[in-house]
Amino acid sequence: MFQSNELQQGIHLHIRPTDQFKTVNFAIKFKQGLTNQSASERSVLANVLLHSNELFPSNPAFQSHLDELYGATMFLDSSKKGNDHTITLLAESVNDQYLANGTGQVLDQTLKLLETLLFKPNLEQGTFKESIVKREKSSVTERIESLYDDKTRYAQHRLVKLMRPNHPASISANGTIEDVSAITNESLFVAYKKMIEEDQVDIYVVGDIDVDEMTSKLKQAFPFPSRNIKPKNIHENVQHPTVEKDFVNEYQDMKQGKLHIGYKTPVTFSHPDFPKMQITNGIFGGYPHAKLFINVREKESMAYYVSSSFSSAYGLVYVLAGIDAGKLEKAVRLIDEQLNAMQEGQITQNEINQTVSMLKNQLKEALDSARGQIEIFDQYKDLDEKFSVETWSEKWTKVTKEDIQDMAKSINKQLVYFLSGKDEAVS
Amino acid sequence: MKELNFKQLDEKLFHEKLSNGLEVYILPKKGFSKTFATFTTKYGAIDSTFIPLGSSEEVTVPDGIAHFLEHKMFEKEHGDVFQKFSEFGGSANAFTSFTRTAYLFSSTDHVYDNTETLLNFVQEPYFTQATVDKEKGIIGQEITMYDDQPHWRLYFGTIENMYKHHPVKIDIAGTIASISDITAEHLYTCYETFYHPSNMSLFVVGSVNPEEMMNYIRENQNKKEFSEPQPIVRSFPDEPLEVAKRENVLYMDVQKPKVYVGLKAKETSLQGEAMMKHELAIQLALELMFGRSSDFYVKAYENELIDESYAFDFTLEKGYGFALIGSDTSKPKELIEAVKFELNKVEEKWPFGQVDVERVCKKKIGYFLRALNSVEFIANQFTRYAFNGMNLFDAVPVLEQMTVADLQEAFSSIQGESQQTVFSILNKKEQTSS
Repeated sequence: MFQSNELQQGIHLHIRPTDQFKTVNFAIKFKQGLTNQSASERSVLANVLLHSNELFPSNPAFQSHLDELYGATMFLDSSKKGNDHTITLLAESVNDQYLANGTGQVLDQTLKLLETLLFKPNLEQGTFKESIVKREKSSVTERIESLYDDKTRYAQHRLVKLMRPNHPASISANGTIEDVSAITNESLFVAYKKMIEEDQVDIYVVGDIDVDEMTSKLKQAFPFPSRNIKPKNIHENVQHPTVEKDFVNEYQDMKQGKLHIGYKTPVTFSHPDFPKMQITNGIFGGYPHAKLFINVREKESMAYYVSSSFSSAYGLVYVLAGIDAGKLEKAVRLIDEQLNAMQEGQITQNEINQTVSMLKNQLKEALDSARGQIEIFDQYKDLDEKFSVETWSEKWTKVTKEDIQDMAKSINKQLVYFLSGKDEAVS
Repeated sequence: MKELNFKQLDEKLFHEKLSNGLEVYILPKKGFSKTFATFTTKYGAIDSTFIPLGSSEEVTVPDGIAHFLEHKMFEKEHGDVFQKFSEFGGSANAFTSFTRTAYLFSSTDHVYDNTETLLNFVQEPYFTQATVDKEKGIIGQEITMYDDQPHWRLYFGTIENMYKHHPVKIDIAGTIASISDITAEHLYTCYETFYHPSNMSLFVVGSVNPEEMMNYIRENQNKKEFSEPQPIVRSFPDEPLEVAKRENVLYMDVQKPKVYVGLKAKETSLQGEAMMKHELAIQLALELMFGRSSDFYVKAYENELIDESYAFDFTLEKGYGFALIGSDTSKPKELIEAVKFELNKVEEKWPFGQVDVERVCKKKIGYFLRALNSVEFIANQFTRYAFNGMNLFDAVPVLEQMTVADLQEAFSSIQGESQQTVFSILNKKEQTSS
């Protein structure tokens, strides 16, 4: 898919020339260990870098310039994957050939902006500007607080926090309010230097471009120093702590009951059984043909949404459902019954076939967007450098009913979390 | 089959109106492995008063019925349609808006099988009172879910503030009370009236051979019998220009207050290219006043009146239209004042020139070009434009012709204090203390 080469030690470039899209997409990923402190600092840092820079020292000037470049988009995104925190600089610029008076300038100027944004920040006496840092700290704090107003996300956050306290699974990519408030101009600048000089860097380009020309332009634009990246031990086994309680009910003033159940499994992304677990999760609750959808929603009319997901980085499985708060017990029983059925081998060949074809379709579809190509390659390249849809499809096709039964047996319920209205009596 | 060439955009669109009245559009996209198809009826939540097919008496059906019907289309005598899509690796879905109901799938394999499933399940209704009653529990939970979403409540609350009579003020899914009245007979009445092929459109985009696909669709449709197409008579109440309520507050369990300023549109009868120009002109004017590079944005952001949830938007359909500007905010009163101040300022003296207009036009052109990478955007938006007599691919040339006077004239139709409303969501604790 991508043509990869190392620009510098620790700096990898991956290019995919294609005329599939009307734009050129860039993604530059900076990876570093995930802690509350690093997540907090890097979230604020992403905002500060996106605010302004040496060439465009005010945000409106920067935004106007992006408008002039036919609304070239530029985002800095703070996210996490496994034990890493990732800052991704995303940019998309239109291909000049589609503009009535295109002159080939838009792409070059976008590249120039990427360089400016990363290497020429808006500084005052060698550090970030106080007023900008203050405003962006408050912006990230507001983002963290906004979680409370989204009841599903909030309930999921509470479940993982209770199941895996002080663990990468429950550390937010945005950090914590306390750690954000502790950030100073100086500590933020240290975090910036570290990001540019020490992070693992992967640069992705997808679009109708010439590989050699783009490679030499990028080499020139990005003066990253070389760095030593410790090879990751991706075959590390997850340690599952014991969870003290098996049921927690919390309350807000709301109408629906948000049921979130957490399970553990020894299978993770790097585990050889990973493809088997993907099928198992699909049959359990990943699709509209899944057991949860058919039995909890369609047969019992108990929910509008009910699904399962497999968090492969941490070896966790979640079930989410929105239910009438008075029907908690029945919902938990029905969900338990679906997993038990799978553990007892009640799995049809039709369910397996449907799930394999849905997984294949999902993977192929994701590759129809430039971002999808980048994200999937970035994830799978650590496992398998020759990743392709065909090799993965083959792994799914080989999965048997017995494999799925074994996988289902490895899924163990740890915690039932329920967020519900204050007035509802829960039995 | 007609072929339409959009040279500058490097797109070719194939179109045919079948003998039963169905409009079929096919857009091949090179390099794509998936095919995305939408089968859409020009029938949405606002179409609640109409003359049923074969009748002469106007009826009003329960609120939320278009959405209810959408749910029930998926259940057949022999099970759930999702099962069939899954067998062929198709991801299926559907949505109901104020003006449309769309059924869709995407798949990278078995495209003809999935197309057949799509066409057949939408054209073979199966409703019984038992299955209708069973669905009430599911949709009841869907309504309850939305009830707990502050941003959803904010959006619909603002529209409800603006409209006194027009059914756009009613939540698309209806209420638990309104859906409790729905019967299988209601569903058949709505289905027979609005799901005739002559009121529908099929859009297929992606990895598709246009000739073969058109033949396949034509054959499928020729095998089925439909009644003669008849014009659909919908009825809408008269709506005054001024908003129904100038202000309203909803108290919820939220961390941060949320505010929308709504501007009710005066001009809601345009169709075709005039509508496209008008709609784009208002969006561009809003971009100049409230966009990321505007004075308003800079001040509001620096003074912490807005956060990352800040948004503004303009919606226009036949019979209704509105602009919304708002954000989560710890200073709701100051934000409302700042938005109104900006609106008044522009009403008193228009501050933007041709250079400004060209800049935001460029931004919008870039937005369209980026969006054309998405087969979902193309199919959904093309259909929405086509139902209003517009062509999605005309947007770029229309933008290239836009002038300051166009923006000024279009924007004047949403100016005026009596057209303004404010809706706020505040924390419950403030309800008891005030």
